Amino acid sequence: MEDETEKQKKHLAMVERLSKRPQSRPTNAESSAESTSSFLSRFSELKTSIDFQLHQSQSLSSDPPNLKLHFQNISQSISDLEKLVAQNSYLLPSYDVRTSLKTVSDLKLSLQNITNQLIPKTKFSFKNKPTKKDPKDTAIPQPKQLPQPSIPGTRLAARESPGFRNKVGEVLVAEFRGSEVGEFAVSDLDSCEVRIIGSVRALFVHRLKNSRVYVGPVTGSVLIEEAEDCVFVMASHQIRIHSARKSDFYLRVRSKPIIEDSNGVRFAPYCLSYRGIEEDLRGAGLDAESGNWENVDDFRWLRAVQSPNWSVLPESERVGIIDISNLKNGDEEI
Amino acid sequence: MGLLSIIRKIKRKEKEMRILMVGLDNSGKTTIVLKINGEDTSVISPTLGFNIKTITYQKYTLNIWDVGGQKTIRSYWRNYFEQTDGLVWVVDSSDLRRLDDCKLELDNLLKEERLSGATLLILANKQDIKGALTPEEIAKVLNLEAMDKSRHWQIVGCSAYTGEGLLEGFDWLVQDIASRIYMLD
Repeated sequence: MEDETEKQKKHLAMVERLSKRPQSRPTNAESSAESTSSFLSRFSELKTSIDFQLHQSQSLSSDPPNLKLHFQNISQSISDLEKLVAQNSYLLPSYDVRTSLKTVSDLKLSLQNITNQLIPKTKFSFKNKPTKKDPKDTAIPQPKQLPQPSIPGTRLAARESPGFRNKVGEVLVAEFRGSEVGEFAVSDLDSCEVRIIGSVRALFVHRLKNSRVYVGPVTGSVLIEEAEDCVFVMASHQIRIHSARKSDFYLRVRSKPIIEDSNGVRFAPYCLSYRGIEEDLRGAGLDAESGNWENVDDFRWLRAVQSPNWSVLPESERVGIIDISNLKNGDEEI
Repeated sequence: MGLLSIIRKIKRKEKEMRILMVGLDNSGKTTIVLKINGEDTSVISPTLGFNIKTITYQKYTLNIWDVGGQKTIRSYWRNYFEQTDGLVWVVDSSDLRRLDDCKLELDNLLKEERLSGATLLILANKQDIKGALTPEEIAKVLNLEAMDKSRHWQIVGCSAYTGEGLLEGFDWLVQDIASRIYMLD
């Protein structure tokens, strides 16, 4: 009997609680509905403006430099839009998050389509740069003998790592077969191509512009700081990328690659080849593809939604296998 | 023997120490911790956040806080300062270019009041890499001699890759902390 009354009491209490709920609800629902609708109106406003910009592209097709700039602007607007979605992803109903993200990816796709249509893609090749030099100058098997110009600034260490520094428009080749190599530095290059055959323990990359860097296995870690309009093809145990813009990375990594303060970076699997690379990769424990090239952690984007700062390089835009075995002098082409 | 005295005895026996591992990104903090603990070090991703390892070392229990060193998350280091007995500053001895960064961050850390009593071990890591600076060179670059006289500090060259030097460093660290904290036993 006592049980019964106890049960009834509980039931009553529950009914009372339930009856109170609807009173508190509307205010919550209202405020979230309000923020949703304000987000949606802001979103559609931005989308309309991007659509309009995309539409305008045709009229600029006769003016390539401006067209490029125009596309950059659109790309910026799209990534702003993506950020807006991410910032509101906590508040929004999941349906709205999904549809917004879909809209963003559709916009990206139409931008890509229209870009491909109006700006013919430059094919990747090993064509020579105008600043062609005597092959003896460009092939440098012993990088340590390079004159090492001092870089202004406060450098605390008394010496520098072996490496390639301060070059413009050159092909720089280093070959490390059977020789023990510690750390190697590649810094302050503009429009250069770097080829490192064999493996090194640690690689430091700093301030590169419009350059291509192809390296064999790095048994320790790679640290990249400040790169713009570059292509990197590298295999390593660890890879950290800081302050990179508009660059493509073809990687094989044992752990997750990370980016920080970067944007417009794209990732694809490793695609380098030279005679004996399999052996070098095996020796470095990098013979198996881990699939980690696309498991990128963005330290500036600790959210569940995909970071707008990096993407997977679409297969249609990837370069094929890059073979650097016969290219020591830089005058052969693939 | 009463229950209380037994409990007291047990409590005194599990001597805990709190160790904070910091340093620039890519210096090898996580690798060092895993190596000391005898774990696999072949696949380690850069630390997003922190790891805590509890290790029994000699007769002490070490709580090691390994905090990520990427620029973005350095500002969170201060969340871990409280009650730190030992501070381990890890240096990538092969990263010559960022030594000034390294010095700057260490100087900032040592200004921190909450760390003023902590024993400082500087590990000049990656000694196995050809071309790495020696511990003496690192000490000079970081200007360690100019440190506050009240600080207990030591620099030790090591390689998290081979394991060399790690035990030497941690032996000194643990002994120094023990002599400060458990002097009375």
